[in-house]
Amino acid sequence: MTITTFKLNLGPQHPSTHGVLRLILELEGEKILSCEPDVGYLHRGMEKMAERMSYIQYLPLVDRIDYLAGFFYSELYCRIVEKALNIELSQRVKFIRVIMLELNRIASHLLWIGAFLMDLGAISPYFYAFREREMILRYFEKLTGQRMMYNYFVFGGIRRDIGYIEDIEEILKILPVKLNDYERIITENPIFISRTKGKGILTKYTALNYSITGVNLRASGISYDVRNTDYLYEGLKYKPVVLYSCDAWARYKARILEIRESVTLIKQVIEYLKSCSPTEQKPISPLNLKLPEGNYYGEIEAPRGMASCYVESVGEDRPYRLKWRTGSYYSVNLLRKLLVGNYLNDAIAIAGSLDIILPEVDK
Amino acid sequence: MKFIKAAINISDGLLTVFKHLFRKPVTLEYPEKRRELNNNFRGKLTVDGCIGCGVCKRVCPSGAISYEKNLNGKVLSYTFDLNKCIFCGNCKYYCPCGAISMTKEYELASANKKDLKLKYNIGVPEEENIKENK
Amino acid sequence: MNLLYFMYMEYLAKYNIPKLFGDITFYIIPFCIIALALLIIVLILVLAERKLLGYFTQRKGPNRVGYWGILQTLADAIKLLCKENITPKGVDRFLFNLAPVLVFVPTFAALGIIPYCAEFTFVNTSTNVILYLILAAFPILSIFLGGWASNNKYSLMGAMRSIAQVISYELPVTFVLLSIVVLSSSTNLTGITLAQYSRAGFAGWFIFPCIIGFVVMFVSILAELNRCPFDLPEAESELICGYNTEYSGMRFAIFYLSEYAMLFANSMFLAILFLGGYLSPFGGYISHILLGDSYLASILVYFEQVFWLFLKSALLIFIIIWIRATLPRLASFDLLKFSWSILLPVSIVNLLLVVLIKFGGLL
Repeated sequence: MTITTFKLNLGPQHPSTHGVLRLILELEGEKILSCEPDVGYLHRGMEKMAERMSYIQYLPLVDRIDYLAGFFYSELYCRIVEKALNIELSQRVKFIRVIMLELNRIASHLLWIGAFLMDLGAISPYFYAFREREMILRYFEKLTGQRMMYNYFVFGGIRRDIGYIEDIEEILKILPVKLNDYERIITENPIFISRTKGKGILTKYTALNYSITGVNLRASGISYDVRNTDYLYEGLKYKPVVLYSCDAWARYKARILEIRESVTLIKQVIEYLKSCSPTEQKPISPLNLKLPEGNYYGEIEAPRGMASCYVESVGEDRPYRLKWRTGSYYSVNLLRKLLVGNYLNDAIAIAGSLDIILPEVDK
Repeated sequence: MKFIKAAINISDGLLTVFKHLFRKPVTLEYPEKRRELNNNFRGKLTVDGCIGCGVCKRVCPSGAISYEKNLNGKVLSYTFDLNKCIFCGNCKYYCPCGAISMTKEYELASANKKDLKLKYNIGVPEEENIKENK
Repeated sequence: MNLLYFMYMEYLAKYNIPKLFGDITFYIIPFCIIALALLIIVLILVLAERKLLGYFTQRKGPNRVGYWGILQTLADAIKLLCKENITPKGVDRFLFNLAPVLVFVPTFAALGIIPYCAEFTFVNTSTNVILYLILAAFPILSIFLGGWASNNKYSLMGAMRSIAQVISYELPVTFVLLSIVVLSSSTNLTGITLAQYSRAGFAGWFIFPCIIGFVVMFVSILAELNRCPFDLPEAESELICGYNTEYSGMRFAIFYLSEYAMLFANSMFLAILFLGGYLSPFGGYISHILLGDSYLASILVYFEQVFWLFLKSALLIFIIIWIRATLPRLASFDLLKFSWSILLPVSIVNLLLVVLIKFGGLL
């Protein structure tokens, strides 16, 4: 008997690749023999664009690297420039940034929960998650003027002082209750468990080999979180979420727990913000912004793994070379290993559980 | 035992979803009902009181802003090309005299591309500029 | 059927219309009524599903076309009617066009053997149940034809999945049907309905002695209808649209509508088997209670019976939609495992229990 295999193009247009990811799968029946991720369909030349634009011009574009977590990249870019120019941030500005980052992380994780379950075929949690995400996005719109492309952080501060804190408190009050709702629908559901438990096992060793970071790594039992050493988070109590079962279910659970952790973080920050008075932060002049010659590097814990940025400056008003490291890119690479030997419908669950966002991959 | 647990979990999920049947829909029927927009909203640009310094052009990431100069090098008018504009708000933020402001207008679709090119003459009252760009 | 037939013949004889005409039209007129009613019911079902899914997820569902979105499905049908029928390159043209034509045939045939009221069944053979069992599995054949002829890997996979699914879920259905046949000592649907009659109304329904069978049957019918959580053949997030990926325009609409027609037929079937079919849940009929033994009441009773049957099937459809809103999709191998290792043994045990109840003097 001869075994015939065939190639299947999963994507670039496919409902569950979350964008334009193309996976070239070699299948035997529904069993995956090999997987070749093909990225680049959303390439916008983010790195090359930086070389043609002044620092201040590039800042609004940075939000677009990951449209679900714009604040993180914005913060990362600001952080590098601030480091190069030796700008000290006041504690209040730091904490306002923490609030924005954590709210953004919650919004991003909520969308992931919805999209992941949509991949698995559950409809309701998708809309419920979007409902809560909408509250966060509305708050962002109120404060920054836009829902996703915030452009709120500027070099040396923030655009305008935080307001509408009662909105955040409302969100924080509602969110844990709604999370319980999701968990009642999903977490212990036997079908969900059969789809995710023991599927797509990412061992510690593989995770490290493929330089996976973020929630995916923490769900594999390694407690590595950039937030532990981040200067923004100094003075905040934070417990990294670490799970040890290494499978898709753990990655789901880790994200739920992380949302809860973010809620406690924001609560701490809000308490501080209420105690201190607002400060005016003047923006630095955009006209003569030049970074001194040298290499600058910064990193941050984005929702999809560690993001880092490297800027090489030759003393001009624009970077000589800029490089982004984004978490999703490494997760896509991991598909090559994780999908092999699985069946097609598990492949969707596994690829979904890694939280891949294509603009982040292709940059 | 396993089955009973599974059945309980499934029915728990079913009940949770059923609860939502009686909640008010969160849908907003867009053209009839609209969301309230905050003053911070970044929509269509307007200019009033420009001094022609050119900072906005320098901070614009997408090259949406251009200006016309006379022979002496004095800036006569600005053009905001909303086809290119990404509504980042840089120009508004860095404008030294607060001349640029962003309105709450966001329904900017137009059948004519020229409608999206906003031309603002310097030294002319705001109303006239607005009239011209309608 | 006999009473109606004689009434009709009598009516015709009054006007001296030949008997042959009456013989022919007696079957044609109800067929037209059923065909029209089916079309309307299917349109209502599509709307109901979308509306219900909307309300389950805190949305409004379709609400633009007509008041409360009532004409939405009609508008969709007209739109699909106007669309181009694309026949992709490399398809088996004959089979590709045949599949949508074939898919409605078994559905119509299945509707013909359902007893809508005490006097109204088109084809009242003594082995209705077995006929229905065969007809219910038939749409899968056209699904398979369509998927196979499409020359698309996703379609083929969907088609194969649906075949595997039906093969494994037909068996439990057969065993449950057997237990119903044992309970009612009849293989005729009208006989089964009448066997469930008791003075106390719903107490005589077969759902009570055969609750396990009801659950098994319900699950199997979900699988046969390709409904969530067994919607693997058209798993949207995996196979794009499964067997009807390549279909467009009216051909797609026919597939889509036949799915709902089959949903309707199957839910009626389930209502007949377990929920007493057209029998009133209170024992006596409302029209008899209200109007006594008048002539009007004896006519109205038939309509009331149809109403009860439709109400019961509507309840079942509601539950099916509710399940779709909640549960994620099963993996294809879990699905087969679930059928062979759980449903089949359980249905056999159920048959045993039912035999004990019936002949062991437990009832």
